[in-house]
Amino acid sequence: MERRKFLHQTAAAAILTSVGGLTLPSFTKKKKHITILHTNDTHSRIEPFEASHHRHANKGGVARRATLVESIRKENANTLLLDAGDIFQGTPYFNYFGGELEFKLMSMLKYDVATIGNHDFDNSIEGLYKQLPNANFDFVSANYNFKNTVLDTHVKPYKIILKDGVKIGVFGLGIQLEALVDPKMYKETEYLDPLEIAQDMSRILKEEEHCDLVICLSHLGYFYKRNPTKISDLNLAKNTKNIDLIIGGHTHTFLPKPTIVRNSADKNMLVNQVGAYGINLGRVDFYFDENNNKSSEGTTILV
Amino acid sequence: MKKALLVFSLLLLFVGCEKKKLHLVKTTAEIITIDSTFAENPAYKKLIAPYKNKMITEINTVISYAPKNINRYDGKLQSSLGNLLADLCYERANVIFKERTRKEIDFSMFNYGGIRASISKGTVTNKNPFELMPFENSLVVVELSGKKVAELVDYFIKNKSAHPLSKNIELLINTDKSYQLKINNQKFDLTENYFVLTSDYLQSGGDKMDFFKNPISLFKTDYKMRHAIIDEFKSLDTLRTSLDNRVILN
Repeated sequence: MERRKFLHQTAAAAILTSVGGLTLPSFTKKKKHITILHTNDTHSRIEPFEASHHRHANKGGVARRATLVESIRKENANTLLLDAGDIFQGTPYFNYFGGELEFKLMSMLKYDVATIGNHDFDNSIEGLYKQLPNANFDFVSANYNFKNTVLDTHVKPYKIILKDGVKIGVFGLGIQLEALVDPKMYKETEYLDPLEIAQDMSRILKEEEHCDLVICLSHLGYFYKRNPTKISDLNLAKNTKNIDLIIGGHTHTFLPKPTIVRNSADKNMLVNQVGAYGINLGRVDFYFDENNNKSSEGTTILV
Repeated sequence: MKKALLVFSLLLLFVGCEKKKLHLVKTTAEIITIDSTFAENPAYKKLIAPYKNKMITEINTVISYAPKNINRYDGKLQSSLGNLLADLCYERANVIFKERTRKEIDFSMFNYGGIRASISKGTVTNKNPFELMPFENSLVVVELSGKKVAELVDYFIKNKSAHPLSKNIELLINTDKSYQLKINNQKFDLTENYFVLTSDYLQSGGDKMDFFKNPISLFKTDYKMRHAIIDEFKSLDTLRTSLDNRVILN
């Protein structure tokens, strides 16, 4: 139904422009298109898996991801590339070079924003800090308080990016580190309740910053079947509003397709996670119309 | 006239832009698998190459020899690989512990899940320790009360996994789950304290080994498990290990 309305409006706009004189563009609804690409839990997988691998034979590889990302950027210049954490650990590249190559490659791929996963503390918080000069992209985390650590001021709760006049707010959420990471690794990093922080963040980004798009980079995990009340992306999605997309990580969940979830305001939004090891790339396309008509609140999500 | 109209309409357009709100009308989403149909961008391969070459040289260096396949699942509640790792960590950490505290470690315990690969028969290279132990875990010694050691044994029996235990242990488990335990040939004493070697990961509550939390005393060796494995393998021409009587199921 909503999709039909959208198609109808598009057709109307197209007719108007085709008759068009000079004055017409101001009456035409301008369309905007933002593409979000994302990875999670790449775990130092720089090269593709070997042909002999039992599960992921010949999959992944950063040099191939670059080809894919570049072709999508050619299609739509208004593209963001994001990562939901656990960039470090998993191959000797990390053990020998401490994440230097991972960050350099991500910079070359022009990643825009990433959040911090538990394994990104594997060389301790200083090990992560030491590699930051190799990262030409920003880290966001809203529920890790780094005030008393070396990361203070280097990690912001959120970042706002303007693309083609579309204001995009990206905030980060990290998993509870206690019992998952040795305290001597994360030092004085303080963990704050992700749900409360997400509710705050989405309000700030939507109501105060007037973002057109709110994206959460989460390393909380998709969902915990054996502990269904534990905070996870699905629970976060249901209990918040104004978040358009949660890009998840941590649980290495290979979803068959992105998940549509109804949020606390009874609106549909998206949760996506693309497994691990750079095997998959997530792609979400947001299409906007400019208008003053409040009644056209409807949005269609196709997965 | 035409120009004025253009300026006016552009003005209208800009003013309009300021006030106009963007409405999200459609979202599409998909997951794209990266496989060999995507060509490798040569610029990226060029950046990777020097790192790769350095890593390969390092990794392919032969450090020992395995006369048979050594894995973590060839026994009941113990394994040839688990025994090898628990023993070598014990030996290597005990030297450090003795030197600094003049005491001896009583035994070591690690987790089955922490062993991430097997060792295949043949040459052993630097690659093997990385595969066995990809994590940056360090060795720690905890001083536990006899009561906590009893909790450790209960966990071990209930958990039914071949969590690596060092050769200092002789644990006989009966079908009714009762047990007899000897530590260094001495009958286990509930009133004694014991020094147990484990990893910092498990000590801080990993794998729900809660008996390691809040120990009477904690000694950090600052020696990574993987480094202990590399150092030991380098010192041995041949890796020898077997199943023995450290855990016996009655």
